[in-house]
Amino acid sequence: MRLRTFILISLASWTVFVLSVRFSWNLDEPMSQEANAGKEVWQSHNCVSCHTLLGQGGYSGEDLTHIMAKRSPDDINAFFRHPPVIPPHQEEKHPSLTPLETQDLIAFLEYMRTIPTLGWPPEPKRLESGDIL
Amino acid sequence: MKALTGKQIARRFMLYAVFLFGSQGIVALLGASALVLPDLPSPISAEYGRAVHLALATFWPVIGMLGMVYYFTAEQLKTDIYSPKLARWQFLIMLVTSLSLLGSLALEIGNGREYLDGLPIFYAGISLGILIEAYNLGRTLWENRQRLTPATGIMAVGVAFLCILLIPNILHYSNPVADEAVKFWVVHLWEEMAFELTTSGFIASFFVATGIANKKDIEKWLYLEATLSVMGGLFGTGHHYYWIGFPSIWLFLGSFFSVIQAIPVFLLANLIYKGFKNHKVLNLKEKLAVWLILSSIFHHLTGATLLGLLMTIPWVNLYTHGTYITSGHAHLALFGTIGFLILAGAYTILSDRESPTPKTYRYGVAGVILLNLGLIGMSLCLLIAGFLQTYLWRVLGLDFMAVSSIIRPYLSLRVLSGSLFTSGALILCTIIIRTWWKTWTVRRKTTG
Repeated sequence: MRLRTFILISLASWTVFVLSVRFSWNLDEPMSQEANAGKEVWQSHNCVSCHTLLGQGGYSGEDLTHIMAKRSPDDINAFFRHPPVIPPHQEEKHPSLTPLETQDLIAFLEYMRTIPTLGWPPEPKRLESGDIL
Repeated sequence: MKALTGKQIARRFMLYAVFLFGSQGIVALLGASALVLPDLPSPISAEYGRAVHLALATFWPVIGMLGMVYYFTAEQLKTDIYSPKLARWQFLIMLVTSLSLLGSLALEIGNGREYLDGLPIFYAGISLGILIEAYNLGRTLWENRQRLTPATGIMAVGVAFLCILLIPNILHYSNPVADEAVKFWVVHLWEEMAFELTTSGFIASFFVATGIANKKDIEKWLYLEATLSVMGGLFGTGHHYYWIGFPSIWLFLGSFFSVIQAIPVFLLANLIYKGFKNHKVLNLKEKLAVWLILSSIFHHLTGATLLGLLMTIPWVNLYTHGTYITSGHAHLALFGTIGFLILAGAYTILSDRESPTPKTYRYGVAGVILLNLGLIGMSLCLLIAGFLQTYLWRVLGLDFMAVSSIIRPYLSLRVLSGSLFTSGALILCTIIIRTWWKTWTVRRKTTG
């Protein structure tokens, strides 16, 4: 095999790969303006350093991909109005957000819930009262 | 004989990479301590501390790799690079932009993208630096096309890919799925494709130069290995696309091409094994570099390839994705595979024709052992923490915060292993920098 053949195979593979990825990232539903602004809030506060979205990010906080299935917008608003101390910290509180930022973040997290993740995260097994860990 | 200018410029890249690696050892140790010692006073918030750690993890290897490619291209072709002046400018651009990126992150200025946090202008500067090298190498190879070797060819293609993969990451993506997908063109494809090409070229050059392996044997399979690395690396990215909103075909593509990716690793390991069976007696300088290369091969086979393959099985990944298992694997795959090789390259290049004293050699070996013990210890702690997260949180459905309390002892043990790692890193950095200083003063006297 020669360098020219290697370069041609590499370029062909790269082209097919980029096209496949481009067609795969299409969204089923368009994102609203609020959801877009919420993504900016997520990024500007560097939430990804502690939390994961789609399983990607820091592991010290919980994954938030489907958080809106577990918490209501009121819960989220209340959380950011009076951010709690985050264990194991004794003093340091969770960063706060303005009400507008919170609304946008909620719209973004609502949107993230609609992304088809092929069954991830898996549904945990329900523990019965007699089960031993 | 007068040293080639391209080789001399490569020394700057290596010295800067070693400095960044030493800083990484300290930053990482402080970050890991902050995770288990709550409310520890710190000049940088934990969020941006992590961003600095990830930026260092991404950029110290690439700067070292770029220096190695210049050096070993000149070494293989027995000629200078096309434009040493361009290489000097490239170094300056990369020095300014990478330091600005790290400085701005320390000042909490970023864009909130994991691994690629920081203002796009700095990524544009780093891309420009890599582009200059790709051009410089392309012209060097073209002008020496009669003497071209497979090692120089695949190293140049590797550098071109580093640039092609980084440029799309300068852009802003409002689509969160696209944002994640493009991020892995650096996070996965730099490590598992572009660096595979440049490191294969380095290993081939080093083994031919030291006489460990026969040039003909090395070159026979190099293009085949490189082609498998490119195809396997590209579509193997699919294992990062399983659950991010991509169609289910990527479950097949990701797992199938992850197996293909493993083939060149085993081919390389086989080649090295054969080379060592009949190798000549090595001097202390070569021996120290070989210690580092063998460490890389060990982690490449175990932590990166075998553990990586296990994790890419979709039914396993469904449970382990988004836990500390990923972090444990990432440490073994990134530092274990690439980091050790760049340290080997840095030591070889910066020591020039100098050989270490037996005492320095013993310190060097102690540094390599500490790095290995620290890395294995850290990764094991992260893997155990990740396994507990997988079982207790994902499988049994225990509360996330309750599981976080259970795994805290393992994260504390990670800090202890991290201190071994940092000690090893500082020992090796000191040896490499002292060697550079010694050879630099000798050069100044001879040229002055």
